[in-house]
Amino acid sequence: MHHHLILRIVSKFLIPPILLYALYVQFHGDFGPGGGFQAGVIFAAGFILYGIVYGVSHLRRVLPPALVRALAALGVLIYAGTGVVSMFLGFNYLDYAAFASDPAHASHGQHYGIIVIEFGVGLTVFAVMTAIFMAFASRAPEIKDTDW
Amino acid sequence: MLEQLTHHLPALQTVIPLIAAPLCMLFGSRHIAWTITLIASLATFVISCVLLAQVIDGSVISYHLGGWEPPLGIEYRIDAFNAFVLLIVSGIGALIPFYAPASIKSEIPKSLHSYFYTAYLLCLTGLLGVTVTGDAFNVFVFLEVSSLSTYALVAMGAKKDPRALTSAFNYLVMGTIGATFFVLGLGLLYILTGTLNMVDLADKILLLEDNRTLNVAFAFILVGLGLKIAMFPMHLWLPNAYAYAPSAVTAFLAATATKVAIYTLLRFLFTVFSFDYPFEVQTLEWVVLPLAIMAMFAASIVAIFQTNLKRLLAYSSIAQVGYMLLGVTFLSKTGVTATIIHLFNHAVTKGGLFMAVGALVLRYGSPNIEDLRGAGRQMPWTMAAFVAGGLSLIGVPLTAGFISKWYLISAAFEANHWVPAILIVASSLLAVIYVWRVVEAAYLQEPANPTRQIKEAPPMMLISTWVLIGASFYFGIDASFTTHAASAGADMLLGSVDNSAHIILEPSHSLIPHVTPHGQE
Amino acid sequence: MPLTHETAIALALIIPFAGMILIGLSDRNSIVRDIISVLTSLLLFSVTFWLLREVEAGAVPELILFDVMPGLSMAFKIEPLGMLFGVVASGLWIVTALYAIGYMRGNKEAHQTRFYMCFALAISASMGIAFASNMFTLFIFYEVLTLSTYPLVAHKQNADAKKGARTYLSILIGTSIGFQLLAIIWTWVATGTLDFVHGGILSGHLDDSFAPVLLALYAFGIGKAALMPFHRWLPAAMVAPTPVSALLHAVAVVKAGVFTMLKVGVYIFGIDYLSLTGASDWLMWLAAASILIASIVAMTKDNLKARLAYSTVSQLSYITLAMALASSLGVMGGAMHIPMHAMGKITLFMCAGAIYVATHKTNISQMRGLGRTMPFTYAAFLIGSLSIIGLPPFGGAWSKWYILLAAADTGQLIMIGVLMVSSLLNVAYLLPVVAQGFFLPNPDDLSEPAAKGSISTRIKEAPLLVVLPPCLTAIGCFLLFFYAQEIYNLLAPVAFGPETATAVLGGSPS
Repeated sequence: MHHHLILRIVSKFLIPPILLYALYVQFHGDFGPGGGFQAGVIFAAGFILYGIVYGVSHLRRVLPPALVRALAALGVLIYAGTGVVSMFLGFNYLDYAAFASDPAHASHGQHYGIIVIEFGVGLTVFAVMTAIFMAFASRAPEIKDTDW
Repeated sequence: MLEQLTHHLPALQTVIPLIAAPLCMLFGSRHIAWTITLIASLATFVISCVLLAQVIDGSVISYHLGGWEPPLGIEYRIDAFNAFVLLIVSGIGALIPFYAPASIKSEIPKSLHSYFYTAYLLCLTGLLGVTVTGDAFNVFVFLEVSSLSTYALVAMGAKKDPRALTSAFNYLVMGTIGATFFVLGLGLLYILTGTLNMVDLADKILLLEDNRTLNVAFAFILVGLGLKIAMFPMHLWLPNAYAYAPSAVTAFLAATATKVAIYTLLRFLFTVFSFDYPFEVQTLEWVVLPLAIMAMFAASIVAIFQTNLKRLLAYSSIAQVGYMLLGVTFLSKTGVTATIIHLFNHAVTKGGLFMAVGALVLRYGSPNIEDLRGAGRQMPWTMAAFVAGGLSLIGVPLTAGFISKWYLISAAFEANHWVPAILIVASSLLAVIYVWRVVEAAYLQEPANPTRQIKEAPPMMLISTWVLIGASFYFGIDASFTTHAASAGADMLLGSVDNSAHIILEPSHSLIPHVTPHGQE
Repeated sequence: MPLTHETAIALALIIPFAGMILIGLSDRNSIVRDIISVLTSLLLFSVTFWLLREVEAGAVPELILFDVMPGLSMAFKIEPLGMLFGVVASGLWIVTALYAIGYMRGNKEAHQTRFYMCFALAISASMGIAFASNMFTLFIFYEVLTLSTYPLVAHKQNADAKKGARTYLSILIGTSIGFQLLAIIWTWVATGTLDFVHGGILSGHLDDSFAPVLLALYAFGIGKAALMPFHRWLPAAMVAPTPVSALLHAVAVVKAGVFTMLKVGVYIFGIDYLSLTGASDWLMWLAAASILIASIVAMTKDNLKARLAYSTVSQLSYITLAMALASSLGVMGGAMHIPMHAMGKITLFMCAGAIYVATHKTNISQMRGLGRTMPFTYAAFLIGSLSIIGLPPFGGAWSKWYILLAAADTGQLIMIGVLMVSSLLNVAYLLPVVAQGFFLPNPDDLSEPAAKGSISTRIKEAPLLVVLPPCLTAIGCFLLFFYAQEIYNLLAPVAFGPETATAVLGGSPS
């Protein structure tokens, strides 16, 4: 679709705000609607838009599939690993009270814990959405773009 | 430090495979992935052994995930019943790393091997999670984790047979429908009671009078789980999924997936709802009982006509699930014990059988019985394992299958249901027919291609197969462990119910003048 | 060598099993393998003979292994009936082992190692059946016996063998899982035990109107007793080589069947309970019908082994009838028929095999005049026939006598008639074989001028190892006539109750 000039220009304008918005959603999950799942999808949407407009090969240069795979795994590891860290610190699995540096402000532990795991979730969701797009988009098209 | 470790064991049961899975994907190398899988599976097995040892005397372990107290937080709750199921799942899981490498080398492209191990570990996580948790919604989450990874695992057989893709898709659609029913039922329960913790649900449900929403919730949960169990007539996904998936996947799934689903059903039937809930009793008697009997017969008859050995065994599994459901419908301790024992015995037997078939497929290249003629002479040990497993399916004495049949028929007689007793033996005789078809083809016929040199199965595959088949003999000769564990499990499930024969049903006509409560321990 | 009872019982089970493994290992060297086969049988017989002496002296050897399920143990306890079966099985194994060597070599059969291995396993299972102390253990070994004899029936691996083996397995497993297992579990649930107790375990635990149903489940479930209509497996098993038929029809399988039938009658139901409830009346009539129908069918069969197979069906129903009469004399007669029939039938089958090895003939119409060229074989056949018919001075006379007594004792005069008619039918289907062999001209000889040589040059017997065993067992038929008193003494406690044990032993009562 790279020969559609208007799409290219507009997407250049749109993609950064999309990514920014995704980060906003990500980190405001415990104050308003949001969190890792939604943020990951929005973040991925930005990249997918890039892939649709500029072509999968460009996307693949920006986001090598190996990286995508690693990010997906890393996200899960962050989530699960947070729980393990809790265990090492003497609490139950995924007990965020472990992260409270000051026992008087136990809710801070909850904040830290949630932010970290949500980040892991966002990472994995982003990676998986992009991977799904890349998998489908890489299939050889039967109708050439110019015929559209 | 050790005490700390022991305290966290319930969580580690699911966390270890959960962490191992992305590690496999991260490193990308199939050899590293295999090593990680091996370590994780063995660790999981050890943990489940320790857990079972702790709870077999009747105690209950409760682990608060996230430090939140139940019923607010998610609770991992382990008693004798689910510890036993954990042992089954992790036991089979511990054998897969030994069996899989040789098998998937020919069935899955090398580039996908690390994904295979990842998906397998995720499936293991899901199954273990379903078993270990005491929160209803958590059950759903882990059920989906295991199901989704299963779909991927089944689809990996596409290189060998492209029908794996359609089977996986079919399975995905049906499985998701089932999961949706299940979660809808859970939602209804939540609306009614305001809690998702299973023990708390049980208390709150007892307080509810005859409530239509509750009945609907029960029905939805039954249908949802019934689909996962492959309860007739929702079994349609199973034959294709088992037939076209890679052999290692089939061996693992056949031995664990349906068992965990049945565990979940029993949990809901007994721990969440209870026998005091009349709708449940009526459903069991009027819906599940006929469906179980139909499964036993229809599936066995269809199995007789199969040409694909894996499909034959898949239909046999559907029939065996029928037996397990039948045990529950007798509404007695012996019946529930029979179901739990058959959970174990069938897992061991079917796992061994599918492993043997995997070895045959590896060497002969095809799972069709026509192509496997003469296998008795060319692969004697593998076929011997198959015959032994087949004898256990039939229920010949000295095999695990016999023990299950014994308990099942005893439960039928105790509940004065002599018609199901007759039907149980009749369907066992059907098993003779389809097992013996294979035996005759393997031993009494000449090979399809006599000039082809067929070697025996690779040693690792053969050893894993014989570990399971050996177990099916061992637990057929000395069933003290399985009967003890199953009895303990049944006790936990039935709670304060008296040890005597039947609970609710009045004997319509008595074959036995007075019901003697004889010590089943 | 001092033997304890436990060790002896364990040895009786292990020796044939170990023999099986050794036979498998010596596959390369056929002479070693055959010697191991015979040695194992001799060793086993010495153990069972020692046990026999112990039982005759009044001991009750017992061996409790372990619990398979709570309350269900694998345990052994030898009572006189089991001892008798054990001795018959192990003793006749020696004869069959020798015979098999001659037959398999004479016919140049394939897969001999597998054959001897399955043989040994079948004998081990028979020992388990003989010595079982509860119905659970007996059922386990009963099934092992079915499965271990399947490869023997399917031995030749051709289409006929496959078909025959299929019938064999489907009927035996079908009846044992379909009926017998139900009966056993019903008994278990109703009474809480499966131990064999003289006088039965059922009275008081079972609604009397259900007793015939339970008995029906047992009777049809014990397919090895070949009660009609589940008798088809016996003629179907004729596709097996003749040593297998000798084993099946004399030693292990059928005797295991009627032995189990007697055990159920005496130790699960109890003779008194049977007569009280009349549970076995229908069985009596069915057995009688079985006797007559099988005998009539036997007369129509031209194939010698088929004729002998139907004769066996008929003879087995004698024992079932004896049990169904629900009288002590019936138990005595039925139990005594086990060794008598075994000895007679094995003779007949071995002769049939000898004829096949020597001449490759299977049909009686082809065997005219054969008696003159195979006099020893035919002499043995004659003696075996007379024992089966029930004429003195051969063993079969005694067992028939006691069954007739039992029929008279219970007032079943029709049964006396049935037994008499059956004896006449036995004559009709057995003696013509002998008569045709000796008195009719041999169709092969008619084309050549009659040789004027001495008798010894005209004898063309089968190899020695194939002719000697039936001659030995024929002598055995004769000897059993005189040993019947010993057998009677041994069986007295079974038939008449344990109190009679000390009274008939002839020694001091303590």
